[in-house]
Amino acid sequence: MMTCDVKAKDRIGTINPIFTCQPAGAQYASIGIKDCIGIVHGGQGCVMFVRLLISQHLKESFEIASSSVHEDGAVFGALDRVETAVDVLLMRYPHVKVIPIITTCSTEVIGDDIDGVITKLEEELLAVKYPDREVHLIPIHTPSFVGSMVSGYDVAVRDFVKAFAAKSEPNGKINLITGWVNPGDVTALKHLLAEMEIDATVLFEIEAFDSPLMPDKSAVSHGDTTIADLIDTANATATVALNRYEGAKAAQFLEKKFKVPAVIGPTPIGIRNTDTFLKSLQTLTGKPIPQSLVRERGIAIDAITDVAHMFLADKKVAIFGNPDLVIGLAEFCLDLEMKPVLLLLGDDNAGYAEDPRIKALQDNVSHEMEIITNADLWDLEDRIKNKGLELDLILGHSKGRFVSIDTGVPMVRVGFPTFDRAGLFRHPVVGYAGATWLVEQIANTLFTDMEYKKNKEWLLNVW
Amino acid sequence: MDDLTQDRIGQLIDYIMKNCLWQFHSRAWDRTRQNENIVGMTTKILCGEPVEAETPFDKCYWVDAVCLADAYRARHPWLTEMNADGIKTLMTGLLERLEYLTVTGSLNAELTDQHY
Amino acid sequence: MPYHEFECSKVIPERKEHAVDKEPGEDLTSCLPKGYLNTIPGSISERGCAYCGAKHVIGTPMKDVLHVSHGPVGCTYDTWQTKRYISDADNFQLKYTFATDVKEKHIVFGAEKMLKENIHQAFDAFPEIKRMTIYQTCATALIGDDIGAIADEVMEERPDVDIFVCNSPGFAGPSQSGGHHKINIAWVNQKVGTFEPEITSDYVINYVGEYNIQGDQEVMQDFFRRMGIQVLSTFTGNGTYDELRGMHRAHLNVLECARSAEYICNELRVRYGIPRLDIDGFGFEALGNSLRKIGLFFGIEDRAQAIIDEETAKWKPQLDWYKERLQGKRVCLWPGGSKLWHWAHAIEAEMGVKVVSLYTKFGHQGDMEKGIARCSEGTLAIDDPNELESLEAMELLKPHVIFTGKRPGEVAKKVGVPYLNAHAYHNGPYKGFEGWVRFARDIYNAIYSPIHQLSELDISKDEIPGNHGFVTRRMLSDADLSDEIRNAPHLSEYDGKFDCLAALKDKTYPEFPRRVAAAE
Repeated sequence: MMTCDVKAKDRIGTINPIFTCQPAGAQYASIGIKDCIGIVHGGQGCVMFVRLLISQHLKESFEIASSSVHEDGAVFGALDRVETAVDVLLMRYPHVKVIPIITTCSTEVIGDDIDGVITKLEEELLAVKYPDREVHLIPIHTPSFVGSMVSGYDVAVRDFVKAFAAKSEPNGKINLITGWVNPGDVTALKHLLAEMEIDATVLFEIEAFDSPLMPDKSAVSHGDTTIADLIDTANATATVALNRYEGAKAAQFLEKKFKVPAVIGPTPIGIRNTDTFLKSLQTLTGKPIPQSLVRERGIAIDAITDVAHMFLADKKVAIFGNPDLVIGLAEFCLDLEMKPVLLLLGDDNAGYAEDPRIKALQDNVSHEMEIITNADLWDLEDRIKNKGLELDLILGHSKGRFVSIDTGVPMVRVGFPTFDRAGLFRHPVVGYAGATWLVEQIANTLFTDMEYKKNKEWLLNVW
Repeated sequence: MDDLTQDRIGQLIDYIMKNCLWQFHSRAWDRTRQNENIVGMTTKILCGEPVEAETPFDKCYWVDAVCLADAYRARHPWLTEMNADGIKTLMTGLLERLEYLTVTGSLNAELTDQHY
Repeated sequence: MPYHEFECSKVIPERKEHAVDKEPGEDLTSCLPKGYLNTIPGSISERGCAYCGAKHVIGTPMKDVLHVSHGPVGCTYDTWQTKRYISDADNFQLKYTFATDVKEKHIVFGAEKMLKENIHQAFDAFPEIKRMTIYQTCATALIGDDIGAIADEVMEERPDVDIFVCNSPGFAGPSQSGGHHKINIAWVNQKVGTFEPEITSDYVINYVGEYNIQGDQEVMQDFFRRMGIQVLSTFTGNGTYDELRGMHRAHLNVLECARSAEYICNELRVRYGIPRLDIDGFGFEALGNSLRKIGLFFGIEDRAQAIIDEETAKWKPQLDWYKERLQGKRVCLWPGGSKLWHWAHAIEAEMGVKVVSLYTKFGHQGDMEKGIARCSEGTLAIDDPNELESLEAMELLKPHVIFTGKRPGEVAKKVGVPYLNAHAYHNGPYKGFEGWVRFARDIYNAIYSPIHQLSELDISKDEIPGNHGFVTRRMLSDADLSDEIRNAPHLSEYDGKFDCLAALKDKTYPEFPRRVAAAE
């Protein structure tokens, strides 16, 4: 048995980060809610750049506001900026009902009491100026010096659910908390649910961010999860949180507070994890898995069979990105006969080493494998350039593009952000459809690399 | 000031506004310094008088003045028909107008900031 | 004052003084919006922060430097790989970014010790790089870390390294412009005069406020080299750290983006007696005048004229091909700062378009003065626009194209207005004579995209025009042109290469004998 170490990065700083900070995660969650515009309480860059980042990824725009903390606010406190921001937003965006107040490092360090100011706003501004309007102000504490965008997303999903969930009649639905995914993933997940005739509340409904350019110029990109959806999460049959680190907190909250059973994971990447996902849906709802999904699964397996043992077997892969995604991809790679030799998990979450999926990798993987936590992209580049790491493929997001370009190791873009490839947000990596898409992306990327490098490029003369 | 002079100053100002940047330094004292030196040298060039430009600063005004004078001659044939006194009167009016537009009448609240 | 009151901003009356219509008869004493004031919270402005103005805009284009941000990881991540300021150092400055990764325990107990460890580890990871810039962020400003003291300690311990510290936290000012100012002053205070550069020419300039977007600096540097001028430093695109320490030895500061870099030119003027010459690298006439002025300054105007003649002969017929086809096209010129005045007049005069609106995200009133001075009558000028105002302006003005940032460009896309990236360009460089043609080409490609035409068609009720399997740009752009123009033998489409910089890589330049011995 070979070794599989899990260890933290051995440098204190970060060279080329894999992740951004907590407020970005809260912002990504907020755009999934209908009639919601978040206010990020901090400097303007905390919003401007995150909007740019998400916009680069989705090739769409959407609204997030800033409280625009300037020097005086940083010195004397900036709660007055939140008060103004809420009023200005409500005056100018009559459709807005949900306003998360998202903190940042600066406003957490100066200790602005956003919970207190929300109470004040509810008693004064909302009661006096907007008595007939439904407005929900939700405090979300996401100091940038804790966790990462992943934990920020997790915290925000929980806080949204916590703010709205209210017990009434059982609704017979499943809460599906997708984690940090793409519009294409939401489409794929909804398709699986529809095939099983399961009624679900999807957190968050971001499918519409794959939005059209309409002749009447009316299209606006926004999330579709409603307040009613969020309220009703307390009345579901169960919650399935696909990702352990992006949404599980909300599932656990619903279980504890409203006795809604929580199923955490697995991230349905690859055939096996999708199978498990469908089986747990079957267990929770009693609904059978229909023939249509047997067929769809068969199509994916057929596609994989076409390439796996001929082209993918023993290919060495490094994977970086959001932890659930990385782990899911690593598991899928093993089913594809590939060798994930290096996994880079972003933030300093101490729980990664205890993750049962990681333990399973440690117990069963039969090749040399390293798992780095609190990792950065230098952990990848340094190993390739200076430490003799041999790779056939990288799976990761666009921020790692120069590692691939400069080392000549081909890279399949997956995760967030993927701004340097067209349309990836449209394609799923989850479900059987995601498995098909992923394996064909991997194969075609390797084929292109063989041709570009003239490395057995003639192999494909007959296939 | 007669209508013709006013109209001609307008034409000359329009060129500066659309094509030059030297009149828009960030502080009032720099604008006045730039305006006086560059318009002053331009006037001399247009009048065919010698221009002393030995120091780097003077040289820098002078290059803007040379280009401005050339542009004026090329665009406004009536300039070449004017005598030196006429040109000086015209250019004095131009400097006054420019000072007004960029300094004394300017709405730019940062012009009087004491620091760069 | 011809204020323009947006319907959507009536509820925030202070916005009224931030937009004006340049109506006939208006001049700068009657028509200037307020500018560079604190942003109205919740207005959904497009502004960034002072940290990004310092680190992202001005610091990072320096190409031989480890750029470290002292703070949580987000500031670093978010300002990494969102610009196109390339360099001839294999784009080191685009590829590598460093965060000290401040965590909660550091906020509580201080982050100076870990900063020092960070600095050492960064130098250890890149042993060939000996220069570093460190940027404060909101978090480390608020906990009061003395970054300068730590940098001094490291410089004592590692005598071969040099470190620049910029204290410009995100909250330091209404916009990124606060950071431009802070890094200008910090650089002239800390670094200028600490390195003696080698002088190789009688004609030595600093090229200031130029960030080498898609190679702009390399294009301009080519002209300067052809004139025998030594570009001692570029502040900061494609620039090196030590060259910028030697700025005090230049004879002339040639300034492009006064918004981001006039401060250092003013200080160099006062402290070292180096004159400031503001130029435009955009537009045939403005660029020609700029080269000529620099030539005149050094008494080598013939060399400038030779370049102007050669380049104009080569590229003017191509520029004019586009000018004929862009006549009267309405443009919203909505950049961040300096392009509103660099482009306002030049695109009208040389490309035939009509600027119907200009705005500045982070500029000051001085920028608006230049923009309003240069645009023609009927233009709507907006300071610190917000999302709803931009939409309202587009609805009102019905532009054919807008020049703005990536995300606002997505907003425009949805209302059927094609966009060009005013900050990073579409297919630049846009400076230089060829670059200006590339800009015209990009505008043409945006406006006459056959797909753009299709986007306006509602297949459920509209007739399909003609019976075409395709439409070309030429079919659209030339439909209303006279035969004389359509077939003009002296006009032609752009025929340059995808990468027009490649030809500069191994170019040799004429040797000009020095007038004086290299005694400086």
